[in-house]
Parts: sequence; structure tokens; C-alpha cells
Amino acid sequence: MSQRRYVQLDVFASRAGAGNPLAVVLDAEGLDDAQMQAIAKWTRLPETTFVLPPVSDDATHRIRIFSPRREVPFAGHPSVGTAHALLDAGLAVPRDGFLVQDGIAGKLPLKVSGEGSERTIAVRTPRARVQEIATPDDSRLRDALAGLQLGTLPPVLMDGGRRWWLAELANETELRNAQPNWNAIVELANATESMGLFVYARSDDPVYYYAVRAFVGAPAQFEDAASGAANATLAAWLAERGALPDLPGGFYRVSQGREVGHDAIIELSIDADGDVWSGGRAVAVVTGTLDWPG
Amino acid sequence: MPACGPWCILAAPWAVPGAIAMPRRYVQLDVFASRPGTGNPLGAVLDAEGLDTASMQAIAAWLNLSETVFFLPPDAGADYRIRIFTPGSELPFAGHPSVGAAWLATTHGLATPRDGRLVQQCAAGLLPAEVHGDPLRPGIRLRSPRGRLLDASPGTLPAELATIAQAGHAVELWSNGPSWWLIEAASAEQLRRLQPDFGAIAGWTNATSATGVALFAFETSSAHQLAVRAFCPGDAVNVPEDPVTGSANALIAARLHREGRLPGQAGRYVASQGRELGRDGRVALQVDAEGDVWIGGEVQQVIAGTLDW
Repeated sequence: MSQRRYVQLDVFASRAGAGNPLAVVLDAEGLDDAQMQAIAKWTRLPETTFVLPPVSDDATHRIRIFSPRREVPFAGHPSVGTAHALLDAGLAVPRDGFLVQDGIAGKLPLKVSGEGSERTIAVRTPRARVQEIATPDDSRLRDALAGLQLGTLPPVLMDGGRRWWLAELANETELRNAQPNWNAIVELANATESMGLFVYARSDDPVYYYAVRAFVGAPAQFEDAASGAANATLAAWLAERGALPDLPGGFYRVSQGREVGHDAIIELSIDADGDVWSGGRAVAVVTGTLDWPG
Repeated sequence: MPACGPWCILAAPWAVPGAIAMPRRYVQLDVFASRPGTGNPLGAVLDAEGLDTASMQAIAAWLNLSETVFFLPPDAGADYRIRIFTPGSELPFAGHPSVGAAWLATTHGLATPRDGRLVQQCAAGLLPAEVHGDPLRPGIRLRSPRGRLLDASPGTLPAELATIAQAGHAVELWSNGPSWWLIEAASAEQLRRLQPDFGAIAGWTNATSATGVALFAFETSSAHQLAVRAFCPGDAVNVPEDPVTGSANALIAARLHREGRLPGQAGRYVASQGRELGRDGRVALQVDAEGDVWIGGEVQQVIAGTLDW
């Protein structure tokens, strides 16, 4: 049997085209590593996931995540999008409101809230740590931050599996108008073995509390449309500084991707144990089958 | 279409007329491929009526494939009509989307070939296609727009291209819509080993207003007679080397025909492209008695379902 159920979703979006695309092969049993990598390369999407039967007793499914180049231990938008796809296809049922995924990063719970087009799913992200707090005139950061009006929190290197430099900007207008200095960002990413520069600013918008932009300098150079894990490191940083918004419902929303033609909304929350949950909605765009010879 | 069990029930709601945000039939192909993953992917929305230009462009950008085609009702004189989009713009014509579209029109009942012939309507005009063999897995040949040699000087070539260029053969700029510099490499071994400097190539092709540069070398194998690589880093930053290129292969055939040096037999040969990218594309070329170039190849259907936009 080489016909497998296949879905292409837009994650962190409530309409097609607003979020971060993801391909999901819903029944990946029988595909080997090389085939998964070849499929992930062929789809040309940021990530492709493969759903397998769980290995631990209390998990609902196992997930493997591939970029076009390599397997990724953990990423936020693939975990959230895959969970949406599983529920849409009736292949998993939440237990007490949770799904549990097995994967390279270990067993991770996913919290399911709401139903239908209102449904949101959040994944508990691996603990992020402050790696290094810097000053804006740090020689490694100076060029990447040149010309940007900064906020009050200092720049910080966070490690949440992938490493990101976080820098607060003075306000949302400054953030939306920021022109990334790509040469400096590529240099920063390579010099510090990080993904690049993630800038954020407070917003007065009624829907979202922060606006963010993620400038990836390595391995490729692009602005990411919706970064689940990077936003989780921001939440951990805000918690560390006691700067988390005090909002009803226990979560805040982030707007990302408008500058690259998207309009993603990501929901972040921190639980009593200090763990960060990152999630949002997803819409299925392509629903069908994938025929890849086994 | 192969049987797909209960999933077909989920994949069938496009048949419901008048539904709001009706799911549209969507197929993703691998073109010029003898098995999935070896050719050039193509997205295809089989019923695109009602989508405006901005939506087509947004879908093509979201899918992130080198090209996506949208099927629309044809005007008189044509059997089917397509619009072709890259993630960034609309194209009047492109080879691999047209071969894929003719295959889809036949296999999905969008058009009925007469005496093995179909007429494709696209922004470049009407183009004849030929369909032969098994109707479920047909062979496709499409007449490429006429290629012509442009009057242009290459100036100074990027160093690594100059190094492998075959002495005594001109570096020529040809166009059949897109324009490609054509360079014959001294040997297929050198061509396959070439590590291109994309920055230098982008600078050169942009300075000479070319889409890209295609290199070719004669190579004797049971399955093909020519090795080809095509670089377009100035035109498509994210796809600096194209895995399989219909337009460039058609121009190479036109040039070799003009020089009386066509490989293969009776004006037919097969070009191999994409191995250096982990693909293994094969393009079938034929030059007819009128000097027109026909391009064709095998097509694999990889994804089939619906698209909700």
C-alpha cells in the first residue's frame, strides 16, 4: 500500500495563507528515514511531519519532523499542526483535553481547547534557558541592531533547543518598519551558533499583546512567518524578568508575519510549573493522499 | 484514479454545487520523473473558476512549488486553459507546467484528445500537445514556442563556467519566452562535478538580462544522450539550480538542430538533468521537419485531494 493520507495545513492561522505551512503524512508506517527526508525535500515546505503509532503507553501518537534538509528534534508549529490534522481526521481523541506526542525531544503534552474553527492546540515546549544577557553595543550585536530604536529589556541569547537572540524594540511601529541588516544577522547567527535575531515590541492592539519578527540568518536567510518555539523562548525570558503580561485567561497573543505577507497569531501561556505552552489555530488547505512508492 | 478506500468520501465534497468556499480538486505531480522525487514538482488546481488573480498568486506562494497551474474553461479553439504562477509572478508559458497540465487534462477527464491531439490555451497563446499510449499513464509531447538566437555578447563569463566551456563553441543567448545563455561543456564529467558560484552567475545573468545559464554536454548512456544543468540564481533566489527545465532544454535542442549536431536518432533524444540536486529528471526532446521542438516526459501523480482557500 503506497497511498497514505496527507494534509497540508496553515498553522497559527484562522484563514488559509496567514500562517506557517506544514505537510503531514498521517500514516507513515513503512517509510524509512531516507524516504521521509526525500518527501520533506519534495514538498518544499518549512517542515513535513510523519505520524507513527506511539511508543510510550500514555502517548496518543509519535511524530517525526523533517525540514527539507534534515530531521528536527522539536519544533512548535509542526507539533501543533500535526495535532490539528490528527483530530480533523478522527485519528486521535484527547484524554481530559490533552494529546500526548512521542518524539525525539521526548514525550510532550498538547492541550486542546475549543472546537471546530475555534479550536486551539498548544504544545508544552522544552524548557528554554537564558544563555547570555548582552548589551546593545556588544560587538557581535552592534551591526544587527544598528538603526533600531530599542526597548527597555536588554538583548538576550535564549536556548530552547534552537538558540535565538531576542531584542526588544521601542514600539510596534518601529518593529513593523524595521529593515533587517541581513549581512549582520547572518554573521551573528554563524558567530553565536544561533538561528538569528528575534525582535519584539509591545502592542496596543486589542487582539495581540506583542508583535514579533524572526530574522533567520542560518542555515538559510529568511524572515519566518510564524515561529512557535522562538516565541516560547520569549515567554520564558519575560517570565525570567517578571515582565509577563498579566492577562485574563492566562495567555497572551503574539502577531507575526505581516511583513512577509502572512498574518499569524500565536498563543503563549505559562503554567504553574513555569513551563511555556505555545499554540494556536490551524486550517487544512490540502486534504488528500500521498502516493510515494515504499 | 486508483481506489483509495474511505478517504475518497472525505475527498469528494467538490462535487457539491453552490457550496461556499467549495473545496477544489488539487493534484501535485512530479514532472519529467520516472519515479516520485526525481523530477520537477507541479501544483495543479483542477477547477479554478472563481479564483481571482490575487488568490491564484497567493496559493502559488503558499504552496512554494516552482510552478502551480490553475485550470479554467477554455475559449473556442482550445481544449483546456491554464494560468501558470511561480511563487512570485505569473508566467506566459513554461515547459514542465505545460507537460504536467496536458497529462492532467487527459487523465482527469478535463479534455478529450482528438486523434491524440490537444490544444492548450495559456497566456502565451495556443499550443498543440500530443498524447499517446495508455490513457491512464499517457506519454505527453508539447510543442515549445519557437526559440530564437538573440544578438547579445556574453562579455566576461564567471570563472568556473569559462573553465569548463568547450573551446570553439560560442556562448549564445537564446529565448523562447525566458532567455538562457547556452554553454557547451567540454565533458559531462566536468559538468556534473561543477560547483557553481551562484553569486557570480547571478551578477552575470542579471547584467546581461538573462533568466539564467544552461550548460550541456554529450553523454552516452542507455537512458539519455545529453547531460544538462541550469542555473538561475538571479531570477529565482530560492531555486538557484533548477532541477529540470523544459524551456532551457527546448532551446538547447533548437541550437543543436541549427548546428546539425542533434544527438540520438531521427531528431529524438533524452536529456538528463537534476542528479547533482539528488533528482534524476529526464526530458524527451524531438525536433520535427519544420524545425519545431517538442518536449515531453514521464509524469508521476504524488498528491491527490482537495484544496480549501
